[in-house]
Amino acid sequence: MLGENGAGKSTLMKILIGLIQPDEGSINVHGNAVRIADPITASDLGIAMVHQHYSLVEQLTVWENVVLGEPSRLNRADACARVVALSERYGLGVDPLAGVSRLTAGQRQRVEIIKCLRREPRIIVFDEPTSVLTPAESEQLFSVLRRVVIDEGRAVALVSHKLDEILHATDEITIMRRGRVVDRLTTGTATAAGLAQSMVGRPVSLRSEAAAFGSIETITQSVDAAPVSDRPDGADASPAGPHAAAEMPVVLDVRNITVIGVDGHRLLDDLSITVHAGEIVGLAGVEGNGQRALGDLLASLVAPVSGSVVVGGKAINAGRPGALSAAGVGIIPEDRHDSGCVLDLSVAENLVLADLDKVSRRGVLNRRALEARAIELMDAFDIQARSPHAPMRSLSGGNQQRVVLARELSAHPRVLVAAQPTRGLDVGAIEYMSERLRRAARDGVGILLISTELEEVLTLSDRVCVIHAGRIVGEMRRDDIDLERLGMLLGGMAA
Amino acid sequence: MSAAAMDAGCEPAAIGPARRRSNDRLVRSVWMIATYATCIAVALGLCAVVVSATGGSAAKVFSALLDGSVRSPGAWGLTISTATPLLGVAMGTILASKAGMTNIGQEGQLLLGAAATAYFATRLDLPGPLLITVSLLAAAVIGGLWAGLAALMKFSRKVPEVMSTLLLVYIAFQITTFGLTKKWLLLATVNKTRTNNGEPLPASGHMPVIRLFGNTVTWGVVVALAIAAIVGFVLTRTTVGFRLRMLGLNERTARRAGVSAAAFGGATLIISGMTAGLAGGLWLTGGIAGDRFTSAISSNIGWQGLLVALLARGRALLAILMAFVFAALRTGSGFLAATGVDRRIADLVQAMLVLALLIPPAVEALQNHRRGRAGAA
Repeated sequence: MLGENGAGKSTLMKILIGLIQPDEGSINVHGNAVRIADPITASDLGIAMVHQHYSLVEQLTVWENVVLGEPSRLNRADACARVVALSERYGLGVDPLAGVSRLTAGQRQRVEIIKCLRREPRIIVFDEPTSVLTPAESEQLFSVLRRVVIDEGRAVALVSHKLDEILHATDEITIMRRGRVVDRLTTGTATAAGLAQSMVGRPVSLRSEAAAFGSIETITQSVDAAPVSDRPDGADASPAGPHAAAEMPVVLDVRNITVIGVDGHRLLDDLSITVHAGEIVGLAGVEGNGQRALGDLLASLVAPVSGSVVVGGKAINAGRPGALSAAGVGIIPEDRHDSGCVLDLSVAENLVLADLDKVSRRGVLNRRALEARAIELMDAFDIQARSPHAPMRSLSGGNQQRVVLARELSAHPRVLVAAQPTRGLDVGAIEYMSERLRRAARDGVGILLISTELEEVLTLSDRVCVIHAGRIVGEMRRDDIDLERLGMLLGGMAA
Repeated sequence: MSAAAMDAGCEPAAIGPARRRSNDRLVRSVWMIATYATCIAVALGLCAVVVSATGGSAAKVFSALLDGSVRSPGAWGLTISTATPLLGVAMGTILASKAGMTNIGQEGQLLLGAAATAYFATRLDLPGPLLITVSLLAAAVIGGLWAGLAALMKFSRKVPEVMSTLLLVYIAFQITTFGLTKKWLLLATVNKTRTNNGEPLPASGHMPVIRLFGNTVTWGVVVALAIAAIVGFVLTRTTVGFRLRMLGLNERTARRAGVSAAAFGGATLIISGMTAGLAGGLWLTGGIAGDRFTSAISSNIGWQGLLVALLARGRALLAILMAFVFAALRTGSGFLAATGVDRRIADLVQAMLVLALLIPPAVEALQNHRRGRAGAA
């Protein structure tokens, strides 16, 4: 099942699992018309789903999570034995006594798979299963799926917006767009370009939008064929190309930073990274390896226990509230509701936050200036809102993200940190964000792109660093990216 | 989606939205007024039921409340003077709560403020206006210090200010009770009775009054209104107020924008203690509670001021209105004895009104929440 964000894939799957009731139409399971009123009915019909966001209780162990919701009496030995049996049958390697909070995303997914397979379902739905997995983990997942299908005759529905995994792991493809099925075909006859076109409804340049569709091969092919010289934005014409960037001054220099979390865990461990003016540095890594802590550090939300942050040649006391913002470090945070905007203030107010000088005189706000500035920025960044005074809460996610982008860029930062800037956005919005980041880099802003979407990092970055367990474990330039080595670095293997 | 596509999508509706929005707003405000009216009517109806059940006459009780608060000679002046400390307490509370700080220790801050005023007004030999100014400043300072203890504990040791401000009330009571046993502190030097009374304030220590149509109103009300005006202005019109609101709504976003929770949150907590202390000074010098300090002088003014702030929901004008309503219930209840009904019935009316006035905003918030979710989906 292939489609853009918002095409209706998840809605359709939720109907199948009984979470949403259809207004019209019918569902047949094994030839019989059925009404799926709730997830329990779905489970009785043999339909199970592994959700994109895992539903595990972190404080419990694996076996406790697996038996959760069973009406029978708890029997630890029996439950553990069942987990081990399933784990061996599918080669999942899950320890029933492990605490879930200590597991990686890939291991958690395997727990979800065991929860699902334990009920011997006949139909299994996977919603965006690879979004937080390393390439190696994804590969492992697909081999489990193949066993489930070929050896045991179960049906698997794989929901994804990534072209390469759909081409790689499926037999039949259904493409959805705006709530309708627009195409059905067998995988053997499909091509990446054809799929992309049906998905978006217009011919697309695979290279410029590869990030959205997740086709790594396309990106690397294009890199091999035409390195740097004909990037879609014409970066060669600007002085800030990847080769020139090395000669530009360093605008952000993070040196040997260590950040300790509340539980005493080292979130960042002696991490160092630099960004030059006009350069896009991509920070690739599997989720949960310190990206969030780095974002927090660069937003002055945590204080490092050691190390220094130097912006434009000046050492900054990173832990002081607002210090990095004042030093010219803009940030599009990973979770904009957490530290990027104030939902209960208006759009106009959210467009200024730290930058009150422009709309005030001697400490008194000038409402007219505030409104004028808001209208100007809403125009420049194409923000769709009822009025500048509409509460931030009333905007769609994409427009909220544009408000954050507009505010950060309009403050003329030296450095812009973009953490997962396109997460949850659709193709059009991703395109827009990518273009804005490129344009900012051309204007001389140093950009640190923190993303778990490898494709995004590869399409946008001049230089790629890999973070693992709070450290930078490897670095490569755009024109000598080695996917195999990258994959190993992501998985924490020295390469 | 490109910008052009979005524009095209909006076009057919382009004529309608402005009118629809004003219609929406009208419908919503009519609906809000109706909800408020219903809730108040139900609350008063329930009070009437209780009055009748205890053998009284509801009509007489309400009539007595009105007489005591506004109708009888001099009543509304008394009510306005009583509203003065309530408003002072409420405005500080509003300021702190906007910054996300919950001060609920106003009763103690107010008590200490009154004690400080009594101490200086009975000891310093200064001309009238200066004496009052100094003793009121002392009230503000001690109220601020008392709340400052809570701020210190919160930002150095993460003690929740909800707990610390509340518990400090009881310590404040102990301190003033102790003060009333020692002549070098608060106890009257010439003690005719056995009760622990403070030294009477000298004539120059009383707040001057304004005489209006046979009513006397303490000048303190001007101070309280000035506090309301300043807090209202700061919150809505200044960059400091903007930062405070940001802090209260999203601490992490505020921190990233350079707002330190310890500096801004601590300062608002201290200021709210100062206004509560000042309210205590105004209450004592206003003379309505007698001419001297006693340990019963605070008599729930702090708690009621907290309720005024709760009902005003951050708005200065509404706080002025609510302070007057609460003061009216206080002064009105003095007339209840004549009806043969327990004067505590006024507390019941007050409690019912608080509940009644809290329901509509809660309903509105719930609706906004639903609408917000529908909009997001």
